[in-house]
Amino acid sequence: MAILEIKNLSVTFGGIKAVQNVTLSVDNGEFVGLIGPNGAGKTTVFNAVTGVIKPSGGEVVFDGQVLNGMRPDKIAHLGIARTFQNIRIYPKLTARENVEIGVASIPKYDTISAMLRLPHVRRWDKEVKEISEKYLGQIGLMEYKDVKAGSLPYGIQRKLEIARALATQPKLLFLDEPAAGMNTAEGLELVDFLKQVHEMTGITIILIEHHLEVVMNVCSRINVLNLGQLLFTGSPEEVQKNPEVIKAYLGERRK
Amino acid sequence: MGYLEGISISICINIVCVCGIAILTGYMGLFSMGHACFLCLGAYTSACLTKYLGVNYFLSLLAGGAVAAAGSVVIGIPTLRGKISGDCFTIATLGFGEAVRILMANIGTNLFGGATGLSGLEHFTNLKSSVVIAVIAIILTRNYARSQHGKIALAIRDYADASELLGVNIFHEKLKALMISAFFCGVGGGMMAHYYVYIVPNIFGNTMSNNLLTSVVLGGVASITGPATATGMLTAMPEAFRFLDNWRLSIYGLTLLIIMRVRPEGLFAYKEITAPFTALYRWIKAKALKPAAKA
Repeated sequence: MAILEIKNLSVTFGGIKAVQNVTLSVDNGEFVGLIGPNGAGKTTVFNAVTGVIKPSGGEVVFDGQVLNGMRPDKIAHLGIARTFQNIRIYPKLTARENVEIGVASIPKYDTISAMLRLPHVRRWDKEVKEISEKYLGQIGLMEYKDVKAGSLPYGIQRKLEIARALATQPKLLFLDEPAAGMNTAEGLELVDFLKQVHEMTGITIILIEHHLEVVMNVCSRINVLNLGQLLFTGSPEEVQKNPEVIKAYLGERRK
Repeated sequence: MGYLEGISISICINIVCVCGIAILTGYMGLFSMGHACFLCLGAYTSACLTKYLGVNYFLSLLAGGAVAAAGSVVIGIPTLRGKISGDCFTIATLGFGEAVRILMANIGTNLFGGATGLSGLEHFTNLKSSVVIAVIAIILTRNYARSQHGKIALAIRDYADASELLGVNIFHEKLKALMISAFFCGVGGGMMAHYYVYIVPNIFGNTMSNNLLTSVVLGGVASITGPATATGMLTAMPEAFRFLDNWRLSIYGLTLLIIMRVRPEGLFAYKEITAPFTALYRWIKAKALKPAAKA
C-alpha cells in the first residue's frame, strides 16, 4: 500500500523549474533513497511535501489525504517528520529538551495554568520528560541528555535531530543528507544506525544522500532525480547499472 | 511618602512590565518598540474603573491587564501570522504604540480627559502591595518560561521553520507570548496610574517603550530575574548618580555600551539569579535522598 504518492509534482521559482512533473510513490514501511546530482531538486521535493514551499502543480497524497496548501505544522501532525541538510537542532536547549519539543509540540495545558504551575501541568511535564528520555535511550543518547545540544559533537547532533524527528511519532520520515560532512567510516556507522532505526520503528523512511555507499547499503529502492525530473526508479543494483544514471552522474564520453 | 519608597515603587512597576516583555523578547525573540501603549491601555482602564465605578484596586489592575492583552491581539493577528519577519513586527509595534497614544489623547475627551489627561485618582499603589505584585509577576512568568510553552518559545526563536515541521503552531505561541507581555504591561500601567494619581497620554511614549526594551536586552535573553534586576538598576542608577548632574545620563549610556560589549546576550543570559539557590537545594535534596535509596 502506498503511504505517499506524488503525482506530477512541479515547483517553479520564478522562471526556474526546480521540479518538473515528478511522479513517485512510496510503500508503507519502505526505505527509499532519493539521489541525484547537485541541483537536481531533491530537497525541493522534500520541501514541497512538508509544506515549506507551495508546489506550482501536481498533487501530494499522504495516507489518503491531499497535502497541497496545508500548513507545515498540520502536515507534521498527520505524521511526516524530517531532518535538515544543515543541522537545525536548538543549540541552547539540552538534548532532552530538544526531543521534548518533538514529543509535545502543542502543550496540553493553557497559558494560565502554565503560569500558575497547576498540578496537571507538573504531571504532564514529567510525562513528556519521561517519554523524551525513552526516545533518547532508544537512539543511544542517554548520556548526553542534560548537555546543551549546541556543544555536542557533530555526529551526535545528527542523531539527536533524528531522535527529535522520531519523537513526533511519524509514519514517514524524511532524512536530508544525514551523512553530510562525514567520512566513509562514519557514513558506514550511520548505515548501521539507520538500519537499526528502520527495523526498530518500522516507519517509512525516504533518504536523500550523496554518499552512495550509504544509499546503496540501506535503501531497498532508489529514485534518481536529474534536472528536476525523475530519471529512474529501481533497486540499488539496477541503479548502478543504468546507463542514464551513470551519464547524469559522471557525464558522457565525447564521441 | 519618602524618596526611597518612591523609587522602590517605580522599580516594582517596571519589574512587572519587564517580566512580561522578557517572555516576548528574551524567549520568543520578538522585539517590540511600542509596549508603552499597553501600559497606556492598562492605566486608563484601571484608572477609569476605580475613578468612575469605584472598583477594587486589584481587580482594576487585572482588568487593565486584560484590556491590554485584548489590545495586543489587534496588532498581533496581522503581524505574527505566516512568514512575516520579526522586523515587521517591530516596526508595526512602533506605529501601533504611537497610534494608541494619540488615540487616547483624542477620543472620549470627557471620559479620558484628552491630552490634558486624567487626574484626581486615588493613591492606591503603596510599596507593600507593589512588591507583592512584582514578586507574583516574576513567579508567574518564570513558571511560564519553565513550562513547555517556554521551551517552544526558545525553539521558535532559534529555528522557526524546523519547529513548524515538528508540529509547533508558531502563530499561536507567538500570540500567547505577546498577550502575556501586554497583560503584565497593562497591570504595570494600572499601578503607575494609581501611583502618579495623574496620567497623560504623553508619558506613554517611545522613551518608555525603549527603556523597557533596554532593560530586557541588558538583563539577558532567556531569563526573567535578569531583566528584573536590570530594570531595577536602570531605574535606580540615574537617581543614585544625581550628584553628577547632567553627567549621569552620559554615564548611563556608557554603562549600557560597556555591558553590551562585554556580554552581548545580556547580563544574565540563560541564567536566573536564583540558580545558585536551586543548585544548593537540589544538592541537599540529593544528599538527603541518597542514604534512603541505598537502604
